[in-house]
Formats: sequence, structure tokens, C-alpha cells
Amino acid sequence: MAKMNMIQALNSAMDIAMGRDPSVVVLGQDVGFFGGVFRVTDGLQRKYGEHRVLDTPIAEGGIIAAAIGMGVNGLRPVAEVQFADYVYPAYDQIVSELARLRYRSAGDFFAPVTVRMPCGGGIRGGQTHSQSPEVLFAHVCGLKVAMPSNPYDAKGLLIGAIEDDDPVILLEPKRLYNGPFDGDPNKPAVPWSAHPKGEVPADHYAVPFGRAEIVRAGSQVTIIAYGTMVHVAEAAAQALKLDAEIIDVRSLVPLDVDTLCNSVCKTGRCVIAHEATRFAGFGAELAATVMEHCFWNLEAPIQRVAGWNTPYPHAFEWEYFPGQARVAMALKAVMEPK
Amino acid sequence: MSVHVFKLPDLGEGTVSAEVVNWLVKPGDVLKEDQPLVEMSTDKAVVEIPAPVSGRVLTITGKPGDVIAVGAELATFDTALAGATPAADTKPAAAAAVAGASAAQPPHRPVAAPAGEAAQVRASPATRRRAQEAGVDLARVAGSGTSGRITSEDLQAAIAARGAPAGGAPQPGAAQAGAARPAPAKGATAAEVEEIPVIGIRRVIAQRMSEAARSIPHFSYVEEVDISALHAMREHLNATAPKGAAPLSYLPFIVAALVRALQRYPQCNAHYDAAREVVLRHRAVHVGIATQTSEGLKVPVVRNADQLKLRALAAEIGRVTAAARDRSAKREELGGSTITVTSLGKLGGIASTPIINMPEVAIIGVNRAVERPMVVAGAIAIRRMMNLSSSFDHRFVDGADAAGLIQALRDLLEHPATIFIAE
Repeated sequence: MAKMNMIQALNSAMDIAMGRDPSVVVLGQDVGFFGGVFRVTDGLQRKYGEHRVLDTPIAEGGIIAAAIGMGVNGLRPVAEVQFADYVYPAYDQIVSELARLRYRSAGDFFAPVTVRMPCGGGIRGGQTHSQSPEVLFAHVCGLKVAMPSNPYDAKGLLIGAIEDDDPVILLEPKRLYNGPFDGDPNKPAVPWSAHPKGEVPADHYAVPFGRAEIVRAGSQVTIIAYGTMVHVAEAAAQALKLDAEIIDVRSLVPLDVDTLCNSVCKTGRCVIAHEATRFAGFGAELAATVMEHCFWNLEAPIQRVAGWNTPYPHAFEWEYFPGQARVAMALKAVMEPK
Repeated sequence: MSVHVFKLPDLGEGTVSAEVVNWLVKPGDVLKEDQPLVEMSTDKAVVEIPAPVSGRVLTITGKPGDVIAVGAELATFDTALAGATPAADTKPAAAAAVAGASAAQPPHRPVAAPAGEAAQVRASPATRRRAQEAGVDLARVAGSGTSGRITSEDLQAAIAARGAPAGGAPQPGAAQAGAARPAPAKGATAAEVEEIPVIGIRRVIAQRMSEAARSIPHFSYVEEVDISALHAMREHLNATAPKGAAPLSYLPFIVAALVRALQRYPQCNAHYDAAREVVLRHRAVHVGIATQTSEGLKVPVVRNADQLKLRALAAEIGRVTAAARDRSAKREELGGSTITVTSLGKLGGIASTPIINMPEVAIIGVNRAVERPMVVAGAIAIRRMMNLSSSFDHRFVDGADAAGLIQALRDLLEHPATIFIAE
């Protein structure tokens, strides 16, 4: 085991995948010579050469299109979109080409492409560096979508994604790159080295898709979250002294319905938390799924905690970010009906 | 017709619901504003609620024993008749017609719908499932939650209150509920077994006693006290009292001595706030006086007993207990005690194991005073003896402290002048 932050864990995942399989290539803006704006690809070009770690023009549509072509022709590309906020020029390539290739060709062609993108707020990045567009991908058939909340899962999911023969969108909460974040920006930053999930095997392992993780077992209420909100939810439940069961979804598509619904059927109460905009967010899918499976066990209406229905603001970031206070309000609301 | 909907107001101190004790009106009656409408019981006090407007009563919600949520509809009035004289409108036929019309087209849904009436039930899915499994018709259960929602506790109470089916036909789900329900003796008839619904004050007593017995690890401590000197002092004070002064019982002396003893043992004059996990030690001593009333046990409170001299203390004990008995006690006079004294006087027996009045941590029980042969200085002497049987919350009161309090109390009562001598 080694101590790693999420950046080092992701870097280790690509390093291992490239070392094991010469068909794995990395491409994106500034991923090669510079090592990535968040240093996630640092050192890879020096180690594996310019022909395997490619700096691309600032053209997201082109990055994904090139990755698809590489994938169809036998490579395993890992494409980085520098910020999830920049993915929209590539959206047509992802939705119309990448996601459908296997279906459109009746299984003759496929492209094992992994698309990495830093997402989420809490870094004073304003509306162009803070978005959480996971639901735009979760809604598209043919894509796997995952968002880790810690270095261990980040490495395991990225290795799993690279080795998967179909496209995977890996959203990386950039506020968690250097340490866990409980939603309070006034607290000093905490490094991953102090967190159990900062213990990461140096070797190869994969975290399977479609499996959520029970971060904390509890009996009174189930909190379903992913990414940064896992840590916010833990802090909010602790502050309220609630015996909450906290579930990290990890893999949005495919979704681990059993783990989620077994928990809610047990506790009878459910709070869903994500950073992304509430309206038609992934929480709506989670709420509907829970309702379908757990209706007769529900003691109270399911509560959602999410970003407001506005673009991510430049100012008032901490009014927008669904921090502990908003999670606590939802927990109180869901605990109130006896 | 102009309909005024009257919702149950907040009756104070964050009351969330109240129980119907007695309707003073019926649909069809014509009332003037402020005329008594209904008696409602909160945790302990019974409150008479006046009519908020003048008009004719269209509907009333709930029968005696039903719990109505604050904010839920209590009654509706037709205020268009405000100017009409009662005599013109209380003809039975007219009243019946109005009542019938309103029953056919109720303007608002009552919280507890009468049997047979299809009413929309507010309850969580989980409560609905449990009700179905237990064979309970939620339309017949009163809701104490927000907007009349039937809570899980309401359902539990309904299941617990449900008697055995009278006609012998088993109710659906009787198998599950049967285990918790005492079956009447075989062949018992209504003439042999009287069913007494647990409602009102009795329900509050039952809930509080169960909770205290369930959650507090009680221990009881019994000590005998030689009150011969106290008896003599009391006789003297009563013999020399100013004309018209009420005779003194032992109780004010015991309360005065307790206040004194608590100065040394403040851990017994406390509340436990379970939600926050803190013990609240009170500087003031508010003494609850367990009082038998025609409705059952109540605990009226002598506030700031530590500030009162003996006769004022006696007068205040007399006042609050009388108010509890004649139901004139205000809500705030029936709560907020920091320690409780329970005394049954001549019925006090020789020992008892009183249940603590939550959230307090101690209760002082007073047993019967009686002359007994005792050994004094090597010889048998007739002394007036009285036992104190007290219970303590062992989580927060250690045995040594409980014993210390009772020994201090005994010492004061055996040397009664010291109760009144400032140190």
C-alpha cells in the first residue's frame, strides 16, 4: 500500500495500464509535455514516449473523434477533457458516435475509449470550471458513467474503465484531487494521507462498475451520494448525530440498484445528494428508482439535496454549493415524520 | 353561506396536538363569538376553547378521546347567520337539515373521519403497509402529525387500543395483532367485562410512566425518620396559629427541609436532557407535588419553593394541589418541576418504590407517620416514626449522593429547628 492523493492514484492507474498493454494511449490538451493542468498525466510522456501520450489542439470534438478512430482500430485511448465544462463541443462525438458504435454496427465495431474529465465545484472556478454534467452522459445509452469519491476508487475505476471494451465516462471531482472535502471552505484543507481511502495499492486492481459502496452502515436514514457529496453527507450526518447509512454510488451507469434499495427498505428514509443542478438531475433517477422498489417501506418523502437551478455562479459559490447545512435540512425533513 | 373554518390553534409551549375531552356544542347550534365550544386536553391541562366567530356550527371534528393536530380543522361555522337569534335557528328540524347537508358535502375533511365515511388519509407508505398488515382501517385513526398525518405512533396506539372483535368474527390481520392484545376470558360478555378506553389524562399518565420506567434505571432508598420533635413543633404551631390560618401538615416542613438538603446535593435537583445528553442542574427548586385527582395522578408545581417561608409554602402547596383537583390549574402550573415529592398521607404505607417524574432525576416518597416502640438510650420509648422511600436515576445520581441527600433530610426533620436556622 502507498499513500496517494487522487491525482497520484489516477496517474498510477494510467501508468499501470500503459505498462501492461502497449495499446493504451493517452491524449488531450497539455497532457504530454506539461503533464496535465492538474498533473494527472505527469511523467507519462517521458516514460512512454510522444507516440503514446499525445498533446492535442484545443478542440474537444477532435480529441474524442480521434480517440474513437484509435479505438476502432485496436488501441485503448484514454482521452482527457481538461474540464468537464469544456466537453460540450465533443458531446456530439460522444453521443452520436462513441456511445452508439457497437449498436449501430450490430456488434461489428466498438471503441474501448475512456473519457476522463475533472468536474464539480468548490474551487472558486466559476461557471466554466465547476460543472457536474454527469446526467448528460447517464442519459445516453451505451455509456458507462462513474464518479469516484476517493483515491482508491479513482484508480480502481480508471483501470476498470481502460480495460472495458466499451466507452466509459469517468468524472473526477477536482475538489477531491488533493484531499477529502466536507463542504466547509473555511476549514483548513485535509490531505488524503490522513484518510483511509488514501491508502492505495501500488499494483494493478480494478473497482467493478455497477457496485455502490456502503461508506458507513447505519439504521436511521440512507444518504445516497457520489463524488464530493459523500464527504459532505458524512459530516452533516455526524453533526446531527444521526445513525445514517451512507452509500457512495460510484458507478452511476450501470447502477447498483440492490445496494441502494436494500438500504432504503431497511431505514425507510432516503436523502439523495449531488452537486449538479436539481431539476432533472441524476437524483431524480435515483429517487424514482428508490420509490419504485421501496415505496411500501418509506416513512417519509425522499429528499433531494442539489445545486440550485441556475448556472454555477462566479460569486456566492458557497450559497450555491449544497453544503452541510442543506444536507442537514433535508435530513431533518426526512426524519421529522414519525 | 359563508363558511368559517376554525383550525386548532397552538395552545402554548409548542403543543403539537390536543385531545377532545368534551364538545359543548353540536352541529346546528348557533353560537356567539367567545361562547364555549369544546374542552380540549393538552399534555395535562384541560383548556376550554371558545368559538372564534359568531355563527351556526356546521361540522365538528373528533369525538372525546380523539387527538387533533394543531392546525387541523376543529370546526366549521356558517357565519352568514351571525345576526340570527339562537331561538329561531335551533329548531330540531332545521338543525338536522343543516347537519345532514354538511355531512353530505363536508367542506373540509375532518381529521378522524367517522366510520363508514370515505376520507382521504394522510400517512406514509410504511405506515399504510403496517396498517394493512395489522388490519387497521387508517380512515378510523386520528392523525397527530403535521396536517393531520397519521404517524407510526398513532397507528401503534390504534393497534394497542383495538379491542377484541365483539362478534367473534376475526378481523383481517388478527393473527399479528393478537399477540399483543389480552384476550378476554372465554365466554366473557359485555356485562362481565367493562372496556375503559385509555384516553385523556390517563393516556398521558400511561405514556409517561412507561417511558420513565423503561428509560430510567431506578434505584430506591428507604430510611426511617424520627419525627417526634417535628410533630411537637407542628402541634405547637397549629395550636398557636393566628385565627383563620390553615393547619399545617407535615408536607410543607418536608418540602422546606428538602430545599435545604438540596443545597448540599444539587445533583438531585436536575433534569436530564436526553436529546442533548446533558444534565441540567437547576439553581431554583421547583417542587412537584404528586396529587391524586378524580382524573388520575397530576403533578402541580410549587415554583421557587426555595424562596418561600413555611406558611407561604403551605399556602402555595394548598393552592396548586387544589387547582389540579378542580382542573383550574394552568398548563405551566402542571410542568417544570425540578424534583417531586409524593405523599399519600395516612395511605402512605411503610415503603414504596416511586417512579421518577421525567426528566427529573429524583423523587422523594413520604410514607405514613405512626407511633412505634423504638430503642432510645438503651430503653424502649414510643416515638413517632415516618419512612422516606425515594427513587433516583442511577445514571446521574450515585448511591452515596442519594443516601447523603436522604440522611441530610432526616437530620433536618429530626432536628426541625435547623430547617429554619440560617447557617
